[in-house]
This record gives sequence, structure tokens and C-alpha cells, in this order.
Amino acid sequence: MRPCSREMQGMNSLLNPSSQIPLQDLQNQQIQNSHFDPNLSSNEDFLEQMLSSCSWADPKSPWDLNPPTNLPFPTNNSSSSSAKHRDLFNETPSSNSDSNNVGFRNSFDESVILASKLRQHQISCGNGAAVSDAAKMMLPQQLLMAVARGGLSLNDDIDGSLSQGGDGSIQGLFNGFGAGSMNGTDGASNQSMQHFNHPQGGAMQSPNLGAQGAAATTAVMNQPQASGSNGGAPAQPRQRVRARRGQATDPHSIAERLRRERIAERMKALQELVPNANKTDKASMLDEIIDYVKFLQLQVKVLSMSRLGGAAAVAPLVADMSSEAGGDCIQANDNGGSLARTTNGSQTASTNDNSLTVTEHQVAKMMEEDMGTAMQYLQGKGLCLMPISLATAISTATCHNRTSGIINSHAPLHQSNGEGPTSPSMSVLTVQSMTMGNGGGDGVAKDAASVSKP
Amino acid sequence: MTTKHVIATAHTRSIKNRFARRFLRSLLKMKRSNRLGTGFQSNEEIRKRNTQRIKTAADRSMARVVGPRKIWSRALLFKLRNRARIQVGLRKRCLVSKKKKVLGKEKKVQVISREPNRADNLRELVPGGDSMDICSLLEETAHYIKCLATQVKVMQSIADLYST
Repeated sequence: MRPCSREMQGMNSLLNPSSQIPLQDLQNQQIQNSHFDPNLSSNEDFLEQMLSSCSWADPKSPWDLNPPTNLPFPTNNSSSSSAKHRDLFNETPSSNSDSNNVGFRNSFDESVILASKLRQHQISCGNGAAVSDAAKMMLPQQLLMAVARGGLSLNDDIDGSLSQGGDGSIQGLFNGFGAGSMNGTDGASNQSMQHFNHPQGGAMQSPNLGAQGAAATTAVMNQPQASGSNGGAPAQPRQRVRARRGQATDPHSIAERLRRERIAERMKALQELVPNANKTDKASMLDEIIDYVKFLQLQVKVLSMSRLGGAAAVAPLVADMSSEAGGDCIQANDNGGSLARTTNGSQTASTNDNSLTVTEHQVAKMMEEDMGTAMQYLQGKGLCLMPISLATAISTATCHNRTSGIINSHAPLHQSNGEGPTSPSMSVLTVQSMTMGNGGGDGVAKDAASVSKP
Repeated sequence: MTTKHVIATAHTRSIKNRFARRFLRSLLKMKRSNRLGTGFQSNEEIRKRNTQRIKTAADRSMARVVGPRKIWSRALLFKLRNRARIQVGLRKRCLVSKKKKVLGKEKKVQVISREPNRADNLRELVPGGDSMDICSLLEETAHYIKCLATQVKVMQSIADLYST
């Protein structure tokens, strides 16, 4: 059991300002940098010394460490400067450790200010300084308790010790405080703490807290009395695990959190596997994953098609007209060709393969969805997409440009029109070539090239 | 993550080697069986059948290599085995009856179907994805993607070998 009696001694000594010695002992025990002047006469200076001697050392604290200028004791006047409160408030560190320096607070009727500052602090520093935040919840309480015990560790032990506290009046006082601000140990007040942690709900809670604090402090100021001012909360704080800031102790939410973390882990692992994984959004990441899986499955299909033991290897060349023609596909067959030619990627359609399987349609649809990555993958594998017009143009050009002559240029175009699939691009090609007419043989290639750019 | 990555690549390499061996073996078997008894069908049909065979051989060997440790490999093996045994007509009947069962259950329980989630597309793609929650679905997808990628690499290298 904690040295509760000693703390009660200290408490008593505080309340009776005459006896400073046990408080000094207490300080020497629990406060680290206890270089304070034992020759202080007034209580204000005493308290100030205690406060300044405490190790607030937390460089991450967003607040300045302003030494308290003049800190009136709670039993003295209450109306003295709110600035002092602010200073005092500013001194509180956002220490993550549960061992030191929770809260020396003057909970006067400016506790409303304190509560608002607390909310701001919670908003500013995002992560869980759980213990310190929980400590701030116990504003009025900490004043008396923490003065007694320098390094207050907020655990269940506090509640336990509180409940086991010996001194009746002080116990009653603490219970009174506990009713208002013993959050985390009580179911209802746990909710209030959670609400407090969310800045939106803070507005509701802070005046409530302030009111309770004010009520409590008035009780303190007058005399340590029983908890008449705070109503409705159970006197005995229950033992519960104190939650970190922003997280709940509810087993459902813990499970929910675990599940979410697991999913995030797996999404990260997937992100590494899938290329083009610069998306931060989960939804778009899922889309990427889906597309990639579809693409890999398509690749397997294509590869299984193109590898038939050295015999007539099928080199599918899928051409997609994303323009008005929609999803035209042609498939090129390489007569007696090997796969090497496909790796070069410059296949032309000599004959039309009528076996337009469902897979080819699927390929076309997939290509319509995302051309960029599809093109990349295909090129990596030695396949390429080209528009129909270009393919036919290349075929006609390579076949018939060698034979010089203007006259011949017309005929192959007609031929290609005949053998190729009827598509708007083809008809355009022939029409243009016809209109060009006798423009010149070298113009034919130009026509084809220009037409091929849809 | 680096150690994980190293472990993953070593794991992938072993998968790749095992898959390559099995796949080549199955290809050899297919070639032998092709030589024995074809000639009655046209070239097109032969080609179609061969592509189907190659694909199923690849999938089956991949699933065997992975083993029954993963949900998707088990589902894939099961599907392939059913496809081999049951004819197409029977399979259609089975599928239809399954759908009816599902609908009946839904009617009884009055389950409100959710909107088509993105994860549903993924479920369709990954074999055996219907009976997985999102958590394990993502895990299975990661493994499936890895295995698919190695499959593609191996098949591509075999194809290159064949071509030259």
C-alpha cells in the first residue's frame, strides 16, 4: 500500500501551515529537485517553491515553463490573478510517464479557464499523454493530492488508495472531487472523459467540469467538507484500466481497433506488391489491386495461348479502338512464326482469325479501363497495341511500297479494304487515298500515317 | 520490413523453382499425349484445347506447389478437380442449385444485401474468396498476387526458351 498515511500527514501539514517539517520530509522523498528554501514563512511561497522544484522536465511540452510568480494557497483568496492560474496551468508537462508531476493546479473558480486550456492542449498535442491527460481531468483533486504526493502516478492505485484513504474529511473531500472528476473509473464519467477527448464534445464538458470544480473548490476553500456539491456520481471509484487518450477501454472498440490495424497492415503489404502503389486512399488502392489481379490472370491466359510447343504459335495482337468504333479487335496470326517475332512486337494482321474468343473481348474491355498500365505490361512482355488503321497501313506499306508505282498503290488499298474487317477507320483510309488519287505514290504512305492517328 | 522482404523473396524463389519443375513436367506430359491421339480435330480446336490445358496445368501446378496451406489454393484445386470430373451441363446445374439455396436462405433471414462493395470484385477474382472476411481476403490476395507473378515469370521464360 502506498504511503497514504504519510501523504495524509502532508495534507494535514498543508492545511495547517504551521508545521512544515513533515511536508519537507515528504518533499524530500518524492520531489526530485527539491532545492527549496525551508525558511519560507508564508504558505504561498511554500507552495510556489514546491511547484518550482518539481521536475517538469518535458521538452516536448507545448507550453512554456513559466515559473509561478505568486501562487496563493487555496484557502486564501480565490480571486487573485487568473494569470497565475494560467502560469500554473502552463507549467504542467505533457509527460507520458506515469510517475511524475501530474498536476499542481489551483482549481479556483477559474477552473473553467483551465478546462478550456486543457481542451486546447488536447487538441494541440495529438497523441496520448494518457496519464497526464487523465490527470488533468482530476483538476481540483490534484491540487490537494499532488501537493502531498509529489510524483503522483495515476493508476488504479490512486483510486484504490483513495478509497482506502484514512483521513475522513480528506477522504470525503476526495470523494467529492471524485464524483465530479474521477473520470475513467466510472462508467458514466468514462464516457464524459471520452467526450472530453473529442474536442467537439469538449465544449459541453468543460463548463460542467468548471462548475463542478468551482463547486468543489468552494467547498475546499471553506473547509474540507463532505461531498455535498457534486451529485449523482457514486462515491466509490471502481477499479478500471485507465484508457489512453483517444482510445476506449470498451472491449468492442478494442477489437475494432485491432481489426482496423490488421487491415491496414495487410493493405500496406499489398501496396508493396502492386506496382503503381502511390495511392494513399484505401479505396483507390483496392481498385489498383483488383486491376492488377485481373491483369495477371489475363497475362497467364495470354501466355498459355502463345506457347504451344514450337508449333504454330499464336501471337495475339489486340488492337483497341477507343474511339467511335468502340471495342474492335483484330487478332493476328503468324503463319509458322515463332514467339520471337512477338517479342519484337511488330506484328501485322495478315489474316483474320475468326476465333475471337471471349478472352479477347475481355482483354479489350480491360484495355479500355486502363490503357497506360496495360500498355506498359504488354510492352514488357513483347506485345504491343496498335490501332487497326496503323496495322493495316503497315501491312500494306511493307507489302506494296517496295513495288514502286502510283498505280499499284491504289490496288493494295482496295485489297486491304477487302480482306480487313470493315471498320470506319478502314473506310476512311480508302476514301482518303481515293481522294488523294493521283497525288503521288509517296503520298500514300503519308495518307496512311495521317489516317492512323485517330 | 527488410527481413520480411528477404524472407518473402526467398520464399518466392522456392515457389518459383518448384512451380517451374512441376509445370515443365506437366507440359511434357501434355506434349506426349498430344502426339499420341490428335489429328481428328481442326487446328483451331486443337489450339483452343491446348491453351485451356496449358492454363489449367499451370494453375494446378501452382496450387499444388502452394499446397493446402492457403485458402485460395485449396479452392483452386477443388475447382479444377470438379471441372475435370463433372461435365459442363452438370456443372451448370450445380451452380444454379447453389444460387437457389443462397437465395432461399436470404429470403428466410431477410438479409439486406449491401451495395456492391469493392471487396466483392476482389472476392470474385481470388479463388475461394466468397467465404473470407476482408482481413483474410487481403492476406490471401497478397499471396495470390505473389504466386501469380511468379507464374507469369516462369511461363514467360519458358516461352522465351521455346522461341529461340
